[in-house]
Amino acid sequence: MSQLGLASGDPYHRVGVAMLEIRNLRKRYGDVVALDGCSFSVQRGQLLGFLGPNGSGKTTTMRSVFSLIRPDDGDVRWDGTTIAPESRLRFGYMPEQRGLYPRMKLASQLSYFGRLHGMDKTAATQTARRWLDQLDLGDRADSRLEELSHGNQQRVQLAAALIHDPDLLILDEPFSGLDPIGVEAMMAILVERAQQGAAVVFSSHQLDLVEDLCEDVVIIAAGKVVLDGAIRELRSRSPHRYLDIELATSRTDLHTAFAEFAVIESASGRLRLRVDDNTELEPLIHRAAQLGHVRHFSYAPPNLSEVFREVVGQ
Amino acid sequence: MSTWASILLVATRDFKERAASRAFQLSTGITVLFVVGWILVPTFLANDDLKAWSIGVVGDQPTGLVTAVDAASGGTAQSDTIEFESRASAELALTSGDIDIAIDTEGTVLVDNGTDDQLTSAVVTALASIEIATRAEELGIEVTELADLFTGGYKVESVSVADESGEEDRIFAFFATVVLFMSIVTYGSWILIGVIEEKTNRVVEVVLGTVRSHQLLAGKVLGIGVLGIAQVILIGVVAITVMSVQDAFEIPAAAGTVLAWALVWYILGFAFYAVAYAAAGSLVSRQEEAQNAAFPLTMMLMAAYFIASFSIGGENTILRVSSLLPMFAPMTMPIRIAGGDAAGWEIAVSLGLMVIATYGLIRFAGRVYAGGILQSGGRVKWREAFRTSDA
Repeated sequence: MSQLGLASGDPYHRVGVAMLEIRNLRKRYGDVVALDGCSFSVQRGQLLGFLGPNGSGKTTTMRSVFSLIRPDDGDVRWDGTTIAPESRLRFGYMPEQRGLYPRMKLASQLSYFGRLHGMDKTAATQTARRWLDQLDLGDRADSRLEELSHGNQQRVQLAAALIHDPDLLILDEPFSGLDPIGVEAMMAILVERAQQGAAVVFSSHQLDLVEDLCEDVVIIAAGKVVLDGAIRELRSRSPHRYLDIELATSRTDLHTAFAEFAVIESASGRLRLRVDDNTELEPLIHRAAQLGHVRHFSYAPPNLSEVFREVVGQ
Repeated sequence: MSTWASILLVATRDFKERAASRAFQLSTGITVLFVVGWILVPTFLANDDLKAWSIGVVGDQPTGLVTAVDAASGGTAQSDTIEFESRASAELALTSGDIDIAIDTEGTVLVDNGTDDQLTSAVVTALASIEIATRAEELGIEVTELADLFTGGYKVESVSVADESGEEDRIFAFFATVVLFMSIVTYGSWILIGVIEEKTNRVVEVVLGTVRSHQLLAGKVLGIGVLGIAQVILIGVVAITVMSVQDAFEIPAAAGTVLAWALVWYILGFAFYAVAYAAAGSLVSRQEEAQNAAFPLTMMLMAAYFIASFSIGGENTILRVSSLLPMFAPMTMPIRIAGGDAAGWEIAVSLGLMVIATYGLIRFAGRVYAGGILQSGGRVKWREAFRTSDA
């Protein structure tokens, strides 16, 4: 993981102490290579976006942290040592979709997951109650999970992953299927856990959301990490810049005036171009001004989605 | 957490969740009602079984006829009489079914095809005893003296110690086999469905992040197994209580031993099949495929059941051979033991093989389960699951 990202002075980052280390993981299923030397690490207090196209090995990596699969090569370490079953009890996992018993009552369900993670009965029962109250589901403690709305089920699922106050939280696609309010609530909880000192890793395909939420990302493709670092760094490290021009005109052929550049988007009076990061801007501003009154002119590094597409090749 | 703590935690959840389910409570209630009804209904029918015989009499009615007939029936009948002018009218009433039997003045008893044999003999006995009493009176013998005349100094005593064929015990053991069969079918499918449900919900991924796959497997089998035994015991206690109140069934003398053996084989048989069902469930991802996955097990179970049910009458080669094989022994060996047909060494060998096979199956199924439980999408071959397993 980016040692660069740690230099930001964030008090929760303990520089040099990597809590979770994924080290050179390899895994094949027959002819299919799921992981091809995947390596990165996550610190306490860090909120890390784990990105990659479908089938790139995200879920396999997450499962290997919980020993749900055994890699052919490489290993996963926690605080510098191989993960012992007791320290794994201090982890929390929220798998993609569901991950709960549909017919079990909320209170007993949450306390069961607490106890699976080593809490005693009293503590598990009390914490389960507290979580339900916090989620405004206190009066539904004896409802079955399947009786809840989709959004409420997902909140209970998150509570199940958090009930034992884990040191490491791993979430597979936590935002999929949530409405904007649900997304916001989920984001708030993840930020809060990281601020309280947990290492938090989540995967997502909603890259604009990831950009808002966290500073650091790991991008994986075909089982290998292709990019790893602070989002700001990764964006500026790109050899490309994006030029947005908006003119007071309804012309739709603006792109013909910039034929030597890659046109990303062209609409009436608007244009988005991809240029090299050493492009001289002044001539371009003049060229734009000759076409009409310039309302907007911006030159910026790629956003996270564009970085993603550049490295993943899509 | 220690292995036992993990297993107990899983077992407790499965036990509680199942016990609290409406399906379980309903099925237990229905079974109890069914068993009670099955015991009580024949008794009620038997109590209402006083036969109402209608006796036609031509001419004068012999004194005390009705009392004598009812006495001769052994208290199973209540008769009345209808008088007729002539034999012809009595015959007509008899053939048309208005009366069951008729007595002519000539001392002839008239019957037709529909006449109960018991009624015929009761009437004949009654007439004879009335006749004897009349003649005795003519000879000056008191009725009380007459009773002495017919009472011998003999009594009947059975010399056979017990039922040598073991038939009764065998039937009792077969009941135990039926219970085992039903339990495995019921709880086996619960385990099957439970395993698939955990897999399709991905909840198993969270659980297996905290407990080992063999602990989850053992906990599941233990929790549902204990619930199954509790249900069987409940039904058994209700059945025996009702039966002893009703005196409807005589528990065979050797029942204690048979019951103890049945329990031993029940636990072994249940463990064997439950573990196998769990492994089968781990190989599929959808409930629709559950029955396919369990098909070989269901076949084995059916075979064992049929061998057992065809062997209530006594020993045969198939029974003897199958009672040594672990997949059949839990259902076939108890019948041989109950019938007194199994040699000591046979029981020992069968038990030994059963324990070894169950242990082996737990190891094997644990590995298949660990390999299959995390592979979703389509059906996993058990060889594949075994090979890729990390357990």
